[in-house]
Amino acid sequence: MDNKVAVIVEHENSRVSPATLEAAAFAQELALITGSIISCVIVGGDALEISHQLAHELGITCEAVVVPGLSHYDGEAYRWALVTCFGELCPDWVCVAGTTQGLDLATGLAVRINAGCLANVEKMGEKDHRPVFSRSLFNGKVYGDFIIEPPAVLITQPGSFRYSQKSHDQKGHVQTIHLLDPPGNTRLISESRINDGDSGLSQASVIISAGRGIKSRENLALLKQAAGMFSRSSVAGSRPLCDDGWLPYNLQVGQTGAEVSPELYVACGISGAQQHLAGMRGSKFVVSINTDPNAPIFNESDIGIVDDFETFLNDFIEAAQDRS
Amino acid sequence: MIKILVCVKSSAPADAPLVINDSGAWIERGFSHTEAVPGRYDELALEQALRLKDQISGVMVDAISCGPTREIRVLRRALGMGCDNAIHILTGEEGFVPAITTAYRLSSAIRSRSYDLILTGLMSEDMNQGIVGQMTAEFLGMPCLTSCVSISVDAERRLVMVERDIEGARRQKLEMNMPALATVQACVTPPRYPSLSKILRAVSMEIETIEADPVTVHDRGEILTRLTYPTRRRSVRFLEGPSRQKASELVSILRSRAILG
Ligand SMILES: Cc1cc2nc3c(=O)[nH]c(=O)nc-3n(C[C@H](O)[C@H](O)[C@H](O)COP(=O)(O)OP(=O)(O)OC[C@H]3O[C@@H](n4cnc5c(N)ncnc54)[C@H](O)[C@@H]3O)c2cc1C
Repeated sequence: MDNKVAVIVEHENSRVSPATLEAAAFAQELALITGSIISCVIVGGDALEISHQLAHELGITCEAVVVPGLSHYDGEAYRWALVTCFGELCPDWVCVAGTTQGLDLATGLAVRINAGCLANVEKMGEKDHRPVFSRSLFNGKVYGDFIIEPPAVLITQPGSFRYSQKSHDQKGHVQTIHLLDPPGNTRLISESRINDGDSGLSQASVIISAGRGIKSRENLALLKQAAGMFSRSSVAGSRPLCDDGWLPYNLQVGQTGAEVSPELYVACGISGAQQHLAGMRGSKFVVSINTDPNAPIFNESDIGIVDDFETFLNDFIEAAQDRS
Repeated sequence: MIKILVCVKSSAPADAPLVINDSGAWIERGFSHTEAVPGRYDELALEQALRLKDQISGVMVDAISCGPTREIRVLRRALGMGCDNAIHILTGEEGFVPAITTAYRLSSAIRSRSYDLILTGLMSEDMNQGIVGQMTAEFLGMPCLTSCVSISVDAERRLVMVERDIEGARRQKLEMNMPALATVQACVTPPRYPSLSKILRAVSMEIETIEADPVTVHDRGEILTRLTYPTRRRSVRFLEGPSRQKASELVSILRSRAILG
């Protein structure tokens, strides 16, 4: 009997998230290695509409788990719906994109279906006809190769797998399950947009970006001063700085922030976690300043400076002012 | 009375040297255990719990850690910050431990203790996965919300109210019934420093130790077969010399690329 790979689809306003399409590309590779058949599972009030779209686009079977009234993501309700659906589907591999929602959903699901779970999968290889999954550990300083027995839930790191729309002759079809009365132990009260204002980050040709290595909020002034040496420049930062309120969220670079591609990206005291890299990989020229010569940000940099950011930026500002 | 439990784990400083050991399957770290501190997100979870204790009367906050003896330092720090009790699930030095094993051990130790709210950090500083909290909740059959940036409780209605940020620059307000688990991404106040009086008290306090039963280890875990160093995506050129020299070299490089005027 064939093995089965199931992709759990993240969607919003009837649109499939790009990270899910990457997870589907990963799942297709996995299906080849393991000789599996692949399907997508869509949960929600509008599951049917999305299933038809996706079946057409990917040419594969889509399972629509229609739960009337479930208009937004709810981890508890989704897990409940998926367990019911998996009762029949019995997937060996479950693939989910590692977004905030994916991580919220999938790891508890693994426990519930008695499966293993591997998060932040960035690469896949093959050894003895078995898939080998790689992910970074220790904030990107080393990579680990993992094997895991099915059934397993695999969470893919956004930005690590490429989805390209292919033409195919399979029609793909849709199967439907209807479920009523999801559990209600967690409830969404409201949802709002954090920042409507445009920070101008996408237009900046130079971005001086701060990480936790800058140590204090006051040190942002030095980065602003350095940014002032360039025209069309902006400061930005990693997520912990925005979480701490040092910078507004619209200046956060990364998976849950902005994706930028300036002429110059200067990373000051940023370690280079995958979720940060996902937002700045497209930069034309990258300069990194870090006290740790093994910081993974250097693997993504054109110029590396192993130094204290404060000492270096002060010297840099002085040198840039010197026109002799 | 609301009983809160915070799950914590030690972490090495971000810039501590790290090398793959001779077996190629685990690492050696160039830092001593005395430098071990709670991970950033675990500290935020502690702060969040202690804030609730400051705000509401009748809140008790305990800390729990699962790992080798070095975890004692982290638990003492948690007591120094203001936790009431500490529990240590003692393991040997096991190298890589699958998240599901840790979640299973935590849930086994927690199950009979009737906590109303369990907090964990968003993710650890070493594995960076962000999955132990959700798995623990699932083993315990509790509702769970992740990536919380603020948490409050309504003791009377037995509700936990949280805010969290999700992709697309959106903030959600949610609530869940107690007992529940939340993973913490941020806190409105920075983690407090242990106070001297509490540190002194912590030294004499007993830490409850439970031996992790190797037989009960959940066997669904992933197996780490090999570690490698990352490959460079760009060929980085390290500038040499004192800071001033590197600074003027960078200025010339940027001028030659017409990025700097
Ligand atoms: C679902 C999810 C989504 C996420 N989304 C994002 C996102 O959008 N953006 C994002 O950035 N992160 C995101 N993260 C968090 C991410 O995983 C990392 O935790 C974060 O990027 C680390 O930030 P950092 O590099 O500033 O801090 P750290 O990892 O702590 O690095 C600090 C660095 O500073 C260096 N340093 C220390 N002192 C100095 C000094 N004096 N001078 C120079 N260097 C120094 C250290 O060597 C270290 O490399 C996400 C995580 C998850 C789970």
